[in-house]
Amino acid sequence: MHLAFSKEDNDFRDEVACWLSEHAPTERRPRDGLAMREYDLAWQRAQWEAGWAGIAWPVEHGGRGLSLTQQLIWYEEYARLGMKPIDARFVGLSHAGPTLMARASAEQQAFHLPKILQGDVVWCQGFSEPEAGSDLASLRTRAVVDGDELVVNGQKIWTSYADVADWQELLVRTNTEVPKHKGLTWVICDMHAPGIDVRPIRTLEGGAEFAEVFYDDVRIPLCNVVGTVDQGWSVAMSTLSFERGTAFTINQVQLSSTVERLVGMARDRSLLDDDEIARALARARADVAALRALTYLGISRNARSEAPGPEGSMMKLQYADLGKRIHRLAVEIVGTASLALDEDSYWTDRFLLSFGESIGGGTSEIQRNIIAERVLGLPR
Amino acid sequence: MDLMPSPEQMEIASSAASFLASSLPIARTRALIDEVSNVDGPAWAAAAELGWFGLGLPEPEGGVGCGLADEALLFREIGRSLASGPFISSVLGARVASRGGRPDLAASILGGARVGLALPAGDPGQFLLLDAVGAEYVLLASPMEATLLPVDGLGPLSPVGCIDPTTRLSRVMCERPLPAITVGAQTDPIAQRASVLVAALETGIAEATRDIAAEHAKSRVQFDRPIGVNQAVKHPCADMAVRAELAWAQTIFAALAVDEGREDAEFQALAAQVVAGHAAEQNAGATIQVLGGMGFTFEHNANLFLKRAYVLGHVLGDERSALSHLITLPAAV
Repeated sequence: MHLAFSKEDNDFRDEVACWLSEHAPTERRPRDGLAMREYDLAWQRAQWEAGWAGIAWPVEHGGRGLSLTQQLIWYEEYARLGMKPIDARFVGLSHAGPTLMARASAEQQAFHLPKILQGDVVWCQGFSEPEAGSDLASLRTRAVVDGDELVVNGQKIWTSYADVADWQELLVRTNTEVPKHKGLTWVICDMHAPGIDVRPIRTLEGGAEFAEVFYDDVRIPLCNVVGTVDQGWSVAMSTLSFERGTAFTINQVQLSSTVERLVGMARDRSLLDDDEIARALARARADVAALRALTYLGISRNARSEAPGPEGSMMKLQYADLGKRIHRLAVEIVGTASLALDEDSYWTDRFLLSFGESIGGGTSEIQRNIIAERVLGLPR
Repeated sequence: MDLMPSPEQMEIASSAASFLASSLPIARTRALIDEVSNVDGPAWAAAAELGWFGLGLPEPEGGVGCGLADEALLFREIGRSLASGPFISSVLGARVASRGGRPDLAASILGGARVGLALPAGDPGQFLLLDAVGAEYVLLASPMEATLLPVDGLGPLSPVGCIDPTTRLSRVMCERPLPAITVGAQTDPIAQRASVLVAALETGIAEATRDIAAEHAKSRVQFDRPIGVNQAVKHPCADMAVRAELAWAQTIFAALAVDEGREDAEFQALAAQVVAGHAAEQNAGATIQVLGGMGFTFEHNANLFLKRAYVLGHVLGDERSALSHLITLPAAV
């Protein structure tokens, strides 16, 4: 056991920090729309041109193929820039891309993977439906084979970046005669195809980052199916272990720096004399330290074994709970100024956004089920 | 960076676990509740023989020459087993004796002489002594320095019952200055080591109680189903698993931070004390709830874990004082 990084890794950190400080965008990220899309893709193109694109992607698919430790270092340095952990590039780089690498045909890979890495396209996800949230496999969006095409009808929901996406990883029901997990198909959907209607959903924080997507006789070539028809569930599950515990590093590092900013703010406002605030901040310090330690422990464990440990669900659950607590504390430190929505409403926005952390990407209730059943072996 | 134990380090943990299971099972700890001393003499001597009290002490000082991380692996097992006796104060006492110019005393502690723990108790000169029965010295640790005080120089000890029946407690009033052996934090950060070792014991408690609760949730049948199918039982068990995992992660991170002399070692050690202390007490309490009526009995071991966790939450000052200290430190590196 050791905590120190090797000289090679420290040199790598210097290289990453140096490149990021010179090339990361410094202008403010547009809140939505095509301007946001262009901002995110320009950043991806800059990474591609400098050879930094796809740090977790294997070399044979054009990525950097970094070790888990170097991925951790990249994310730690990236997080220090204060950029969003998840932006319009996320589904392509961290979900659809890895799924394509694992399960797509050589032609599909050759067509799509370079576009993702080079920052040409935005991907979105079409999994959840109004009647299929935590119980994803019960989804009802229907696709029937018609000649060499699938014809899709139905509705998806909570699709982030749907309004600016080129492609979608879409999960549809192609067979209603078999048990629910067995009749699904994973297909690449062109978001510009006729019959697709995207309706943005306004969130409680006021933004419109995600949307409902409606499909009215949308025709998708059968050659866009990844894997085979009716085998979509196994395709969708094949990427769960991708990045093996490093992807959450940005959130965790940013939460640590949030806590330190709050300590500074509380000090400036003489609020550290308030025992309750001082102790709440100290507890937050201890808890974010432990979240980082858990990240390191998970990476150490995953570096030795192919099977990912339980850290993923634990990290997500703890991050959500902690994020809510810390951002509630933030608005308390800001005081009544947190009521005003002006240019300075950063902490109020963060506070409101924190309520989504325990819902998106698998609710905290589902994470607890996963931990209890897979780690402790409790009955379903 | 690698927070996973090497095969040799796993061997330290597994041989400690099997020694504890055979020589100091919980049944033995329970049997000692009604004895004057809570220490099993032959088992303590055997632990000394195994090098437990000098595991983290360099070989030239008579120790085994391992790190604090290795000691944390050992203490996690001791915590799981609920073995009673002044393990932490003896391990740290040997260090203070050695670094404080008393190699003879260090050798005697490494050989099995016990060191109790002194906690300031209100007025100056007033102390609560933990597990000082049969000890020649007690350890008094603060962030600034660690001191060994001779027990026979203190006033008469008044034994008093302890919330944890497997811990021995007495009150003492010390009227005059004593010839003490003192080591400053600059020489050796004993308080940081204490935080890590307490956190390791607490991690063991958090893990052991998590396992008791999960086992019960799987096997106890009500309404024709195991109670663990209910999310009202399942989710508290999941929370126990998360707390135990966080506690161990932070404990081993802090142990390595101390071993490697990182600038933020004190920050990390205090964070471990806070996170693991919370995990131990919360997990023990949640386990009592999952167990239902059995959890509220003295016969079931859950209450002993809760009481030990509560005592450990006070041996380095309470959580309030740890938090008040942590907020004054510079940010983690």
